Amino acid sequence: MSWAVYLGRRLAGAAVTLVLLSCAVFAATAVLPGDAVSAVAGPDASAAERARVRAALGLDRPVAARYADWAYRAVHGDLGTGFVGHRPVADVLAGRLPNSLLLAGLTLALAAPLAVGLGLSAGLRAGRGADRLISTLAQVAAGVPEFVAAALLIAVLSVRLDLLPRVSLVPLGGGPLDAPRGLVLPVLTLAAVGTAVATRLIRVSAADVATSPYVETARLNGVRGVRLALRHVLPNAAGPAVQALTLTTGVLVGGAVVVESVFDYPGIGRELQRAVAARDVPMVQGIATTLVAVMLLILLLGDVCGWLLDPARGEPR
Amino acid sequence: MPHSFDRRRFLRQGTLAAVALAAGPGLITACASGGTTASPKAGASSGARRAGGTLRAAFVGGGASETLDFFNGPTPLDLVRARAWHGTLGNLDPTAEYGVRYGVLEAIDVSEDLTTYTLRLRSGVRFTDGSTLTSADVLHSLATLAAGSKLPVFRMASLNFDLAHAKADGDLKVVLPAVRPIADGRLILCQGNFLVVKNGTRTFSTATPTCGPFKLTEFTAGQGAAFTRNDDYYGAALGQGPYLDGLELRSIADSEARAGALTSGAADFVHDLAPVTARTLAADDSVDVVPSRSPYLVGLSFRMNMNVKPFDDERVREAFKLAVDREAMVSTVFYGNATVGNDLPAMGFPDYADGLPQRAHDPEKARALLKAAGAEGMEVVLTTGPETPGMVEAATLYVEDLKKVGVKASLKELPAGQLFADFAAYTRLPLAASYQVPVPALSTYQIGTAGGSPAAFGWKRPEVDALVSNARAQSDAATASRLGTDAQRTLWEEGNTVLPVFKPYLNAQVKGLTGIDADLFEQFPGFSRAALP
Repeated sequence: MSWAVYLGRRLAGAAVTLVLLSCAVFAATAVLPGDAVSAVAGPDASAAERARVRAALGLDRPVAARYADWAYRAVHGDLGTGFVGHRPVADVLAGRLPNSLLLAGLTLALAAPLAVGLGLSAGLRAGRGADRLISTLAQVAAGVPEFVAAALLIAVLSVRLDLLPRVSLVPLGGGPLDAPRGLVLPVLTLAAVGTAVATRLIRVSAADVATSPYVETARLNGVRGVRLALRHVLPNAAGPAVQALTLTTGVLVGGAVVVESVFDYPGIGRELQRAVAARDVPMVQGIATTLVAVMLLILLLGDVCGWLLDPARGEPR
Repeated sequence: MPHSFDRRRFLRQGTLAAVALAAGPGLITACASGGTTASPKAGASSGARRAGGTLRAAFVGGGASETLDFFNGPTPLDLVRARAWHGTLGNLDPTAEYGVRYGVLEAIDVSEDLTTYTLRLRSGVRFTDGSTLTSADVLHSLATLAAGSKLPVFRMASLNFDLAHAKADGDLKVVLPAVRPIADGRLILCQGNFLVVKNGTRTFSTATPTCGPFKLTEFTAGQGAAFTRNDDYYGAALGQGPYLDGLELRSIADSEARAGALTSGAADFVHDLAPVTARTLAADDSVDVVPSRSPYLVGLSFRMNMNVKPFDDERVREAFKLAVDREAMVSTVFYGNATVGNDLPAMGFPDYADGLPQRAHDPEKARALLKAAGAEGMEVVLTTGPETPGMVEAATLYVEDLKKVGVKASLKELPAGQLFADFAAYTRLPLAASYQVPVPALSTYQIGTAGGSPAAFGWKRPEVDALVSNARAQSDAATASRLGTDAQRTLWEEGNTVLPVFKPYLNAQVKGLTGIDADLFEQFPGFSRAALP
């Protein structure tokens, strides 16, 4: 199978997944009790008023017809406008998604080297003291919900020591990078959880590689320590490590929703949460589908990197 | 207030807040104790104010769906922002004639038959593009934008006035027909939400010409807005501010985060904190917790559905009202920072029926009434949700109170935003938690209860509806008050609402900040007269 065919198949698979998931999200918004009429017309609106608003929003049409309509427009690049406040969904995405990607990017930049270092150290010493320490810490940290981690960091670094701002206020007309101090606590919170999850995954693959015959051979030939880790273990564990990190990105997306609301960080996760609460279907649909697309892209990149990093690679599998 | 969804809350508030009939005695108290007066004479006290500086205030906000178009912007912040930016027909002011302080208007004349309102414009009001305000601008704002808005804040006005048929009479007069005779229509038009934009304005941006106290320089939905003082503001000549050089309104959704912004010096004023957040701030010497005062309180209530047995029986309803331990709710849920209610909304407004006796906590009598009605040991589910701070906690206590009188009560707590989302299902609940925003009593009745509205939970009493309409058409205050009280007495005796407690909006600010309570629209603060310490 050639490289192009492999990529084509993967992309087609991703597209099918995207369509199925967008259907699922649409169905989920239809199944949720209530609709956006309350958010638009107010809970005390009369029955006639509610009917008028429902018709104005197109909510009186069958779900399938609404989905087909949405999908047709989305394919043509029009994600529509939100029911509440009438902002174009694309505008909201353009304003918020980069902030979330920045948060995720910084988190990965911090978590990836840490997780690789810790995962390798633990994996190479599988079963020994250092491994037990790292594994236990990672297990505990991976089990701490983001909002608890955030509360702890706030209590220590913001309230007690007064080192960092409690809220990630972005200067008006600027972006998060204009107030970099506001990024520290959100990134630390996400990195703590992300590092822990990735460390555990990398540790497993490093431990596998460490007991493999070729590493055993290298050991017998007197290769030890850092040289063994970097020259012999890392190249073989790198592929799985990249895949571990891409999986961690999924964990980060979920965590970002929580972290963005705790620190009031202007990201897309918070908007999704708000749109769901208001039953703002076009907004939910646009944001969720875009997030799914981003996730699929990251997973695909992860697979491609993993394959490129595999020293024993042949044709794509 | 991390768990409540604020658009929904505001909509509830907005629906009812669509009217403000009378500026209550509470506003007088608020203004008097606030160190300023709300009358045009406020300029006299401005000598003590430090002019200048930029005030930073934080609100819950509405995320990326916030909009500069306040005719389509359902969050409190959309309205607060618009009021800093645009001129207004007027504001409530209990110290002024008819209870209103005019903005771009000189006066409102009412015809003998109470059906025609003539708005007379102040001459020489200028927009930021240098043009002068005329009747065409007011007409566009009322007849096109407000009349076409789907927002509940404009609903009460459209119930009483035929906005779409307003007419200009020369450059400085607008004639507005009322739908039925109404004596207190000035208070509906001058409640601070009728803002004036330039004729032809359809979309809004920082470039839009305006005539308010501040000029908008920056706006990012979900983050905030920045303003500078409008030196050309018509109010400046009347001693009505603004005193600040600049104003920043920020959106911070989380209650703890808003408090953090205040204590860390990132904000000077924060709106609507959760009770527990406000309690932790009380220990901080650099800030003041400033709860809103009567009548700007929110009533927490439980609605009994008269379409569902046994709530069709008046004795059962009475028993459910007697069962609640109001004092316990005030002290446990709100740390004492709340007031006992008497099963009627709108406490503190002039048209509220003060004279009725306070309903007692009488579990014995409740038990006896339930027995007499054959409802002892009845099962009931109380449905609630975290729509405003304290709502779930109050419902939890009420379920315990009901168990103490032998009712097999249980609590169903819905996730945030869910309670009112399916409104048809909500109105079918046998026993539902609710809350009432600060709006005068008769208006609250007309919006939510009259005519057997679904929100009335089976209360359908045409003769009480008529009594309320009649009260509002009286130009004699004593007659209006007598009729209004009669209507509320029936509601108190036979109604289906248990309203045990009123809670304030818990705002907080840096020490020495003044003038915010001099520019209130309902429960929402304004900044045209604010001054930094």
